[in-house]
Amino acid sequence: MSYSLSLVGPYLDIAIVFALVLALAPSIGSFMGRVFMNRPTVGEGVFGPIERAIYRLLGVNPRHSMRVREYAVAFLLSNAVLILWIFFLLMFQNRFPWGATPGISPMAWDLALHSASSFSTNTDFVHFVTESQVTQGGLLLGLQVAMFLSAGAGLAILAAFIRGFVRKDGTIGNYFVDITRCVVRILTPLSILGAVVLVFLGLPETFATSATVHTLLGSTQSIPLGPVASWQSIMLIGSNGGGIFGANSAHPFENPSALSNLFEIGLMMVVPFSSPFAFASAVRRKGEALPFLGTILIVFFTAVALVIIGQIATNPDLSPIAALSQGSAYPVGQETRFTLPEGALFQTVSVYANVGANNMAIGALSPIGQMAMLFGMFTQSTPGGVGTGMGYLLTNALIAIFVGGLMVGRTPEYLGKKIGRQQIGWAASLLLVHPVLIFTPLVATLMGGFVPPLPTAVGASAHTFTSILYEFTSEAANNGSGMGSVYVNDATLWFNVVGAVVMLIGRFFPMIAMLMISHYFSVQSPLPPGPGTLKTQSFTFTIYLTLFLIILTALLFLPALALGPLTQIGGG
Amino acid sequence: MATGRTSPSADVRADSRISLAYVLAESIRGFDPRREIRHPVMFTVYVLFLFILVVMLDPGLFPDLTVGYDKIYYLGTAVLLFATLWFANLSEGIAEAQGRAQAESLRQIRGGLRARRLDPAGTESAVPVETLRIGDVFVVPQGETIPMDGDVVHGAAQIDESMLTGESQTVLRESGGDRTSVLGGSRVAEGEIQVRVSALQGQSFLDRLIRLVESTTREKTPNEIALNVLLSALSLALFIVVLGLVYLCQLTGYAAIDVATASSLLVSLLPTTIGGLLPAIGISGINRVAEANVIAKSGKAVEAAGDLDVLILDKTGTITTGNRLAVQLVPAPEVEMGDLLTAALVGSSLDDTPEGRSIVRLAARRSAQSVRLEPGSFRVVPFSAERRMSGIVLADGTEIYKGSVSAIQDYAGELPPTLANAATEGARQGMTVLVIARSKRTLGLVYLKDVVKPGIKERLAELRRMGIRTVMCTGDNRLTAATIAKEAGVDDFIAEARPEAKLLLINREKAQGRLVAMTGDGTNDAPALARADVGLAMNSGTSAAKEAGNMVDLDSDPTKLIQVVSIGKQLLITRGALTTFSITNDVAKYFAIIPVLFATAGGGFVGVRALNVLGLSSPHLAVLATVLFNALMIPTLIPLALRGVPFRPRSAIDLLRQNLLLYGIGGLASAFVGIKAVYIVLEWLGRIPAWQSLLSALAHFLPGGFL
Repeated sequence: MSYSLSLVGPYLDIAIVFALVLALAPSIGSFMGRVFMNRPTVGEGVFGPIERAIYRLLGVNPRHSMRVREYAVAFLLSNAVLILWIFFLLMFQNRFPWGATPGISPMAWDLALHSASSFSTNTDFVHFVTESQVTQGGLLLGLQVAMFLSAGAGLAILAAFIRGFVRKDGTIGNYFVDITRCVVRILTPLSILGAVVLVFLGLPETFATSATVHTLLGSTQSIPLGPVASWQSIMLIGSNGGGIFGANSAHPFENPSALSNLFEIGLMMVVPFSSPFAFASAVRRKGEALPFLGTILIVFFTAVALVIIGQIATNPDLSPIAALSQGSAYPVGQETRFTLPEGALFQTVSVYANVGANNMAIGALSPIGQMAMLFGMFTQSTPGGVGTGMGYLLTNALIAIFVGGLMVGRTPEYLGKKIGRQQIGWAASLLLVHPVLIFTPLVATLMGGFVPPLPTAVGASAHTFTSILYEFTSEAANNGSGMGSVYVNDATLWFNVVGAVVMLIGRFFPMIAMLMISHYFSVQSPLPPGPGTLKTQSFTFTIYLTLFLIILTALLFLPALALGPLTQIGGG
Repeated sequence: MATGRTSPSADVRADSRISLAYVLAESIRGFDPRREIRHPVMFTVYVLFLFILVVMLDPGLFPDLTVGYDKIYYLGTAVLLFATLWFANLSEGIAEAQGRAQAESLRQIRGGLRARRLDPAGTESAVPVETLRIGDVFVVPQGETIPMDGDVVHGAAQIDESMLTGESQTVLRESGGDRTSVLGGSRVAEGEIQVRVSALQGQSFLDRLIRLVESTTREKTPNEIALNVLLSALSLALFIVVLGLVYLCQLTGYAAIDVATASSLLVSLLPTTIGGLLPAIGISGINRVAEANVIAKSGKAVEAAGDLDVLILDKTGTITTGNRLAVQLVPAPEVEMGDLLTAALVGSSLDDTPEGRSIVRLAARRSAQSVRLEPGSFRVVPFSAERRMSGIVLADGTEIYKGSVSAIQDYAGELPPTLANAATEGARQGMTVLVIARSKRTLGLVYLKDVVKPGIKERLAELRRMGIRTVMCTGDNRLTAATIAKEAGVDDFIAEARPEAKLLLINREKAQGRLVAMTGDGTNDAPALARADVGLAMNSGTSAAKEAGNMVDLDSDPTKLIQVVSIGKQLLITRGALTTFSITNDVAKYFAIIPVLFATAGGGFVGVRALNVLGLSSPHLAVLATVLFNALMIPTLIPLALRGVPFRPRSAIDLLRQNLLLYGIGGLASAFVGIKAVYIVLEWLGRIPAWQSLLSALAHFLPGGFL
């Protein structure tokens, strides 16, 4: 093990990554805010013509602003087109360009459905092994396109959501303009930049699908290759997470060194951690980023700490001597090329920012670590996925502000917009849809016997249970992180179809809800802030929002955690 | 009650002792499913309660759900669910009873009144009140009760309204002007009046008042609806979670949760505290407004009062006592002082206002000569809002007018510069300046000093701390207004206001999305009162004003608005605080119930059992203790719901911090302590032989289900 004995070293480098991301977040965020609100940005001369060409190609009038119905229809229809395209592409992947990868056959319909839904919903939960089941064409023409468009759609919905706070004419923007601007100005430049750096850090970037090498033993071995750097870049920046290799970011080609590990952590964090600033810049209230950033940081750091503590804490199933010799109480599945804090930070960022890339095996994490991971997927908003995470946080904040606003004796309002029955109704529907999407398929899976009977030993049983819970939680949250389990094969018809449904509802219902909230705000004239208005830019509100989020999440999901990770502890 | 002159025996609240029988009857009537369904959270409890009853009738109906059926446990669960519902009904019943008691005492006032209707020929006939129509005229002689709301069309009288307002001092009502309106139920103390009916039976002020406090027609306010939506969604989500837990425990085989335990867990988790008390909070808000002797025409108006951004206050009568007293006379250049004194004396000698009288007093003190006006040798020109001046026209055609600087300038042209300077200077010193002119020639100034009411500065400061901006409205000129504004501490003022100024201001503020309140009593205030979000009409004002406003202050005290704002805020704070309490209270319930579910499971479960921080050992007792604690929270908090969370004006963020500590952290901690305490009591009870034999007798009486 290269587990560093120095305590400062591994913590220092992750601290530096954090400091860098947080230092850049205000400027990147304000840039994103300008993109959201259709204000001119740096590089107008480059981006402008590209966007105008795209508008001409799509036949879009960029000056037309849509009301909610039109916006939602545009959003849903274009996503339907994307899903169908990937579905057919994967089903007939050998007939498309770059389809002649040896040993790869067309995908079964259910796996194609799951994969199409997974990548189009920014989930990137994979039920396939990329190297052996997807052609180069499937990757580049389908999945990678979806990685850009799904991340772009997330940002577009956030932009439309935010507009409700600013507008009063009942329109919330133009979906095609939003997604075009977000892809052209935010995702593309960032991912090009990321890919170039990753190439320098040693990631392959080639159209060759494999390299044949002669091993020391004299036999030949085929090592899969591909445009890894560019894939990895958008996979991390766009909170996608589906690796070009099955081993994901523990694969030496996806993540070759400690330095690339740190850089990839930064790539995952950049958009989600800048989003509070993007929101603040979009609504032109600088300080408004702080309560959200504060909430994200408190929950996130607690999770990182829990993962690390969980790994170090005594494992009752492992003898102290064995644990000592392994450097961690849960040594299995930890990538030995990275130190524990480096691995833990990568994994926590990956799950909390809804990326779902792996460099640790979550199934082998301590139960406490698994609990921390699940919690991040339950909140979906600390910081959550690209665009959607901030959307969830805003939605949760609206509920918190509603209750808090009552507590200060005023009809609750945020940014001068009154939080009425409709906004609360749609926001609260998200409290409902997440548990439904997790518990229903979980119960149905166990009841219908779609998994082998749980092991008799309680610990092993709870571990298997946790992995099924994790699967549906990840799909409902459009996270994409998988726990894997030796007992459960999720590449089955049942898991493919149910998973697809869970991902689609988990993605589109909340987004429509956010658009509806935006709509109900957009028809209101903003009130000027008065001295009696609840000030959200305050320490008290930040703590309140954090506790509100934690308690509400705990109320809805503590039973699930009790049956899963908690039962694993000392379960034998 | 705002005024100290009130005699308690005549108070609306005098008979507000609530009837226990009514409360009990009402709490039982609350079990009517049609009533329960209006409160989604409690309706869920209701359904669970009925389901447990069905299970108890025949536990064999659902063998999977009733593994390990224990009669006493199910009976206990049913009793506690019933108690939860009953406590909630009780709170609503108490709140309604308070209102009803007020309504009852009001009804007695009206009981069986007859009216002396005056037909067009002028003959008087006694008719039942119900037959009166709008426009009918009736006579009320001295000592009789006025049968119906109306306007005095002839005569003048001192009216005793104490039975309505609690105000023991009589008020003058006379035909013409702004003091014509009389209320059905009040009594003519002195004089005789003819009154034209202004409202129909059933729609009179008294009727509306009765209906309002009875709360039967109470509609949910917008915030209440939004809160109900949130609580319903949360309840539904918790239902899914508990259902999921039950199934998953069974499917994994870790634990078996029977239907009684599941119901108890769900009921404990549901926001029953706020859900059960929500109706009572709303009703008591209106009751508290009524206790302040203000009649709100809807609950919505009370809630709006808590939201106000801007308060428009009349200077006169609200901020100042309204008695401006003349302190100095300043003659114009080339005008003799004596000339000015005479004009002031003549011009004001028939002016009966306190200002006019004070001018006469001042002039008489300074002048040697006295003035006598022969009857019929003059014509009085009263003050009108349009002319903004008043005066007298003598037989020889001499006009003497006094009015504000701008009004006299309109009449007699620009003031001489020295006089204009003196006027400006006087105004700067906080004085009202009147200009006296004779036959279009400006003679000089009178300085009048305005007296700010004692205590008003503090109340306005209180409003500012609540985040409400105050705007003073006055007919005075800018400088005068500015001085008073500064002295009283209002945020803004409108000087030289014409009658439509308030309406314009309200429209302007509302266009910017602000909520505006105003007080008013005159007919010319009516459009603005109607337009304002909260229009508090004075009971002493005209019917038109009272009709237009959405609240009427029976004490006719404009500063009452401040009290109403506090009540409105209290209403919202109480809802928010109890919601927070309900949510944080839930955390402990998981810690109490989840670990004991695994108590009977085999080895392992170290992690789950570690949640048992309360150290509860008996699963059934732990569940019952939790649901009992949950039920007990409702009656514990009934007084708070009825009284409202104490509210002191302070900044929003301070309020949030304080209420979070009190109700958030308090809710979190109290549940841990409370559940443990209830558990200990139940455990102790279980060791008492008498209790044991009672339970075993019960168990004997219930042989494995009733059927």
